[in-house]
Amino acid sequence: MTRNTHVTIEDLEALSMGSVFLATGGGGDPYLPMILAKQALLEYGPVALIAPSDLNSNDYVVALGAVGAPTVSLELLPSIDEAGDTLRAFEEHTNKKVDAIASFEIGGGNSLLPLVAAAGAGVPMIDGDGMGRALPEAQMMTYAIAGAKPTPAVARDYAGNTAAFSTSDTQTYERHIRSFAMAAGGMITAAEHPMSGEFIKTAIISHTVSFAITLGKVLMQHRGHVQQMIPHLNACFKSSVYGQCKLLFEGKVTDKSVAIVGGYDVGELTVASFNSEPPVTINIKNEYLIAKQGDKILASVPDLIVLVDIETCEPINAERIKYGQRVAIIAVECPEFYKSEQALAAVSPRAFGFDFDYVALSAK
Amino acid sequence: MRIGIDVGGTHTDAVLLDNETILATNKSLTTSDVASGIIDSLNTLLKKASVPAKNISAVMIGTTQFTNAIVERRQLSDIAVIRLALPSGKGCPPMIEWPDELIKAINPSIYECHGGYLYDGYPVADINFQEIEAAIADIKHKGIKSVAIASAFATMNAEPELQLANLINTEIPDCEITLSHQIGSIGLLERENAAILNATLRPFAQKVVNAFESALKQHAFSCPFFISQNDGTLMNADFVRAYPALTFASGPTNSLRGAYKLTGKDNAIVVDIGGTTSDIGVLQNGFPRESNRIIKVGGVRTNFRMPDINAVGLGGGSIVRDEGKRIGPDSCGHKLVEEALVFNGNTLTTTDIIVANGNAMIGESENVKNVPHEVVHNAINTMRETLNHHIEIMKPDNTPVPVILVGGGAALIQGELPAASEVIRPENADVANAIGAAIAQIGGEAESMLSYRSMSRNQAIFNVTQLATDKAVAAGANKNTVRTIDIEETEVPYMDGDIRRVRVKVVGEIATVERADAQLSEQQTGAY
Repeated sequence: MTRNTHVTIEDLEALSMGSVFLATGGGGDPYLPMILAKQALLEYGPVALIAPSDLNSNDYVVALGAVGAPTVSLELLPSIDEAGDTLRAFEEHTNKKVDAIASFEIGGGNSLLPLVAAAGAGVPMIDGDGMGRALPEAQMMTYAIAGAKPTPAVARDYAGNTAAFSTSDTQTYERHIRSFAMAAGGMITAAEHPMSGEFIKTAIISHTVSFAITLGKVLMQHRGHVQQMIPHLNACFKSSVYGQCKLLFEGKVTDKSVAIVGGYDVGELTVASFNSEPPVTINIKNEYLIAKQGDKILASVPDLIVLVDIETCEPINAERIKYGQRVAIIAVECPEFYKSEQALAAVSPRAFGFDFDYVALSAK
Repeated sequence: MRIGIDVGGTHTDAVLLDNETILATNKSLTTSDVASGIIDSLNTLLKKASVPAKNISAVMIGTTQFTNAIVERRQLSDIAVIRLALPSGKGCPPMIEWPDELIKAINPSIYECHGGYLYDGYPVADINFQEIEAAIADIKHKGIKSVAIASAFATMNAEPELQLANLINTEIPDCEITLSHQIGSIGLLERENAAILNATLRPFAQKVVNAFESALKQHAFSCPFFISQNDGTLMNADFVRAYPALTFASGPTNSLRGAYKLTGKDNAIVVDIGGTTSDIGVLQNGFPRESNRIIKVGGVRTNFRMPDINAVGLGGGSIVRDEGKRIGPDSCGHKLVEEALVFNGNTLTTTDIIVANGNAMIGESENVKNVPHEVVHNAINTMRETLNHHIEIMKPDNTPVPVILVGGGAALIQGELPAASEVIRPENADVANAIGAAIAQIGGEAESMLSYRSMSRNQAIFNVTQLATDKAVAAGANKNTVRTIDIEETEVPYMDGDIRRVRVKVVGEIATVERADAQLSEQQTGAY
């Protein structure tokens, strides 16, 4: 796999496309973050991308991204100075200089926001992220699972108001920061989970920024029917931190029911086969979590389940899935990190309220 | 009696309706002077049906002129854009990511100012009057006469937009102002784009509407006229002057509504086969299913509610290759009448295929006698399979649905379509879009983001319905006839407080036509 040493303006479109694929149906639209990143890179030049293994043990790193309701950013547009200001406010609060910035999640818009802060501050972005995909809650991040404390953390709203957090655990932090987000109009930027260079080496999914760019390029270059795309995807995933990539099913969306439960898009969609095969159902909680055919589980979280347009292979967000769409269901085995007992306690099907254990795609 | 006219890129279709009955239809080539083309169509219809002009109570016009003006970057006026949203959105200025030539054609003066509200009514920032005064002075100095205004969450609280419009009109009384909350839904960037497109079209809209008005008057049509909106409803002349952008995509909508009228099928797939494409749309309860995608108009992201159309490169001018196994997506377009074999040209087109197969009599059938039988057979199959495949994509579920074929190229599809429960080829299908225009009602639509915790659900829906009704009445509806046709409630993820997006769509009868019809029947009664 190509490992980028920098992220340039030319990479941004591919990074967006790759991030939508890895968002497994959630993650929010990267359109506005991409516009901001484009301008930041135009002003400050390319951002250095540092491999986790190249960090110094005593480097001070922090994870930075947006927290809140993506719907709100449709009206309360993000600003170019938010990410940089959040970083500065964090440094002032902790009285420490940040050496590198990490991303919460490679899936969706949060793959691009750290670039804006990194460009302005002239610090590198770490080539990796805390999920390897998109997931709905902070305690599902690898940083939290590996034992990093979420605080000290600083969050900034659209007007430059800031709040500093010091909480006992990630779940409490998640509650508090969400209430700050609500008070600030629904969307904020946060710098959280400060870590040492030493710590993050084992707590991050490595090289996912480079990988998302490579993946995005493959998806754009070979845009077309899923059958001709699959060999390219296989080749792409083979030399990555992810496991195998598998085309599970092709068909047409015949049913979709989604409701908001506890702030999340929760629902189910049914994909009917073009031949006589039984249909596949997909369970959604913001992201596509489970793919099953009858009683048989074809794939489950934390493995990635991605729905793409059958003709173009463009990944489709869960919000945009609709009746009649012809889709291919692709599954990708998650990075090794998520297979530990500790990680599965946070992200296995049971953690999402399903009544069965995770079985890796390759073991099916 | 009503007349419906659809002015397309190539053809102008017209129909004369007496209530439900079609009295006459007409199809002519679209002329560069659209107004006189409309008058010619009107007169031809009246002659065909032997009806005097005074019997016409309303003329409904669907036109692509405003879409084309944006796409072709002509007739666009210089404008100013003021956004009230700072300190949010720094780095996402108005018109970001617009095509360069379009920006050049519009020559915008852009002002970013403080203001707007959050979803819960808390101000993003207070209006900064110094900022505003400087912007207005600059607009006045430059002599700009059309301004677009957009503020954050204007669909929930329009007050900043209204306040700013007042300030501008105090300084520049003849300035035309487009307010984003009047034209778009949630999504500041997309709604602002819609307002900008509208603002740059307004002076042209003035010209077009005036030309229609004076042409009708000159030819003794005393009735009012209405123009089709993108959702299949109508607006009156004054409303079009203010909101020309609402006409975008009215063509496909009218053809769907016309197909519904012609068949009475309220849940069906409609395929409008033209010269270059087959436009496949879906009828749900008699109205077009709307697209949930970001719609680009002339390369600009907007959030107009457009019908969900799958445009397939298969039409009467599509070029046939590989022994009939490959068709289109390129087409001879309007050069069909020079290039097709039946018109003594050298290109094998789908029109030649159906003439060779004996399904149509167009041009010189002698010219296609030597097209091998196998090529004809293959091409007929390819066309049917292509269309069936795309109908499958558009179908709401696996059960076969009625498929209605309309448009000039309907003869291209021969035999059964496996995706269809039945294939309907209604009479007068070639003027379905004119019929769609003629039967339309006046519409209004409003959307807001509300908390069901701070007000009851009924109250919330009532409030949004009120806004939609106000819009319908402003567009020319009789208030007493306005009824709700769609309520959409969407929960907003990651938000507590029971926040929903509520959208309400209403329709009503045309206020003036009812009056005109009533007067007409009184006169008729009096004559007896």
